[in-house]
Formats: sequence, C-alpha cells, structure tokens
Amino acid sequence: MVSSISLSIDSDLDKVSLLARAVRALCEDLLSPEDQDAVELSLVEAINNVIKHGYHGERGKDVQVAVGLQADLVVIEVIDHAPPMPAQVLDKAPEDTFAFDETDLADIPEGGMGLALIRMNMDEVEYHSNEAENRLRMVKRIGSSASGG
Amino acid sequence: MLSTDLRANVLVVRVEEKRIDASKAPSFKDEMARCIDAGQNQIVLDLSQVDFIDSSGLGALVSCLKRLGPRGSLAVAGATGAVSRLFTLTRMDRVFALHPNVDSAVEQLSA
Repeated sequence: MVSSISLSIDSDLDKVSLLARAVRALCEDLLSPEDQDAVELSLVEAINNVIKHGYHGERGKDVQVAVGLQADLVVIEVIDHAPPMPAQVLDKAPEDTFAFDETDLADIPEGGMGLALIRMNMDEVEYHSNEAENRLRMVKRIGSSASGG
Repeated sequence: MLSTDLRANVLVVRVEEKRIDASKAPSFKDEMARCIDAGQNQIVLDLSQVDFIDSSGLGALVSCLKRLGPRGSLAVAGATGAVSRLFTLTRMDRVFALHPNVDSAVEQLSA
C-alpha cells in the first residue's frame, strides 16, 4: 500500500505551521505521537531553512512538500528552487551542534540548529540538488523510535 | 503573545501561544527584551500553553538568557511532551532550569 500527496505553500513563515499540521494529521494513524512530533519538527525546520536561507525571507516563492505513506515508512520530501545548501552546512555532524559548553553563555547556540535537529529526528536524510530543484528527502520508519546519526 | 505576573521579586511570563516558531520568535524576543530591559532579572517562563517549539523559538530563548547575562536567571516551567523533549535532545536542559510548574520555579528563584 502506497499513497502519496503533494502540498505547497508560498515562502511565508506564517504559513509553515498550517502545512506542518496537515502533514502531522496525515501521519496520525501510522506513527506514535513521539514520531509525529519528530516528523512535524523536521518538516518545520526544513521549510524554515528554505525560506530563511534559500529564499532569504522573500515571499512569493514556491515550497513544495511531497508525503509518501508506505506500509513501513513515511517519506517526506521538501522541494525548492532556491540556490542549494552549501556543502559545509551538510557536512557538519549533528552532535557537534549541541556539544557546547553550557557554563559559557557565548558558546550556547542561537541558530544553525535546524539541520542537526532534522538528522536527529529522522531515520534517513538525503539532499539532492540539480539545475531544476533542490530536494531534501527525509524518512521515518514506522515502529522505530531510534534516532540520531 | 505574553502575559506577566510579578510574584515577590520574580517575574512570571506566560506564553499565550501554542507555538513558538520562526514566525513568532521575533515578537517573542522583542517582548521578552522589554521585560529584561525594564530591570527584571529573575524570570520564570511558563510554557504550559505551548505545544510546539522549533529551533528558532529555542534560539529566541537562548538570546533572552544572553540578554539577562550572568546577573539574571531564566527558569522554564510547565514544558511537556515535544517541548520538553526538545530541551533534552538539544542539551538545553543543562542551560535552562526546567520545573514542572510555576510554583516550584518561583520558589527556587526566590529562595
């Protein structure tokens, strides 16, 4: 059994929660509440990154989300037409982001946490970029509560 | 998006929104900055009405902590579910003192 649906929003931060809640509702019967939280957060972070860094906050650009529901996994793809994410962002290990010194106020991060959170919350994360589009593919396996890596 | 209540020397700030996300983080930060700049340095942030925080929201909390500086305290009360797990996952539970409710947070800060 495979079903899929495509949703899209304008590149407006005010619209992200609407889309995230719609996708969460699609996963309701398949995923535990904790895994729904993980998917919702990952999707929000992915779209925020596209709007803030890809489109530099400019409205009127297209953000597409494709959701695939399969027997054993949920696949979420975020597709945009912005300049691609730089390689050094993608290469950073998620655990480094949160390896700060909590006794040193200046060392505690205020940003740059989105991709790390996505990697810690989803089972697979891949980023593909070509001349036509960027595609962030995120997979949550059904019944797996493991995360990280 | 915030309501405030002064208890002894502790300012209790309640977030009256269900989500602190990238669209809400800037106004959250501005409203908190006004409280801090007005001289409050013992603050309890009541998140009991909040069911979703993203990294922008979390970053806004960290910026409040930095604005308070070493002279102040920012405790978090009433975080549950996804919000409480976000603090643990990002190790921010070591940065913010997390309390089950406002009363215990106020008690701690005013002690």
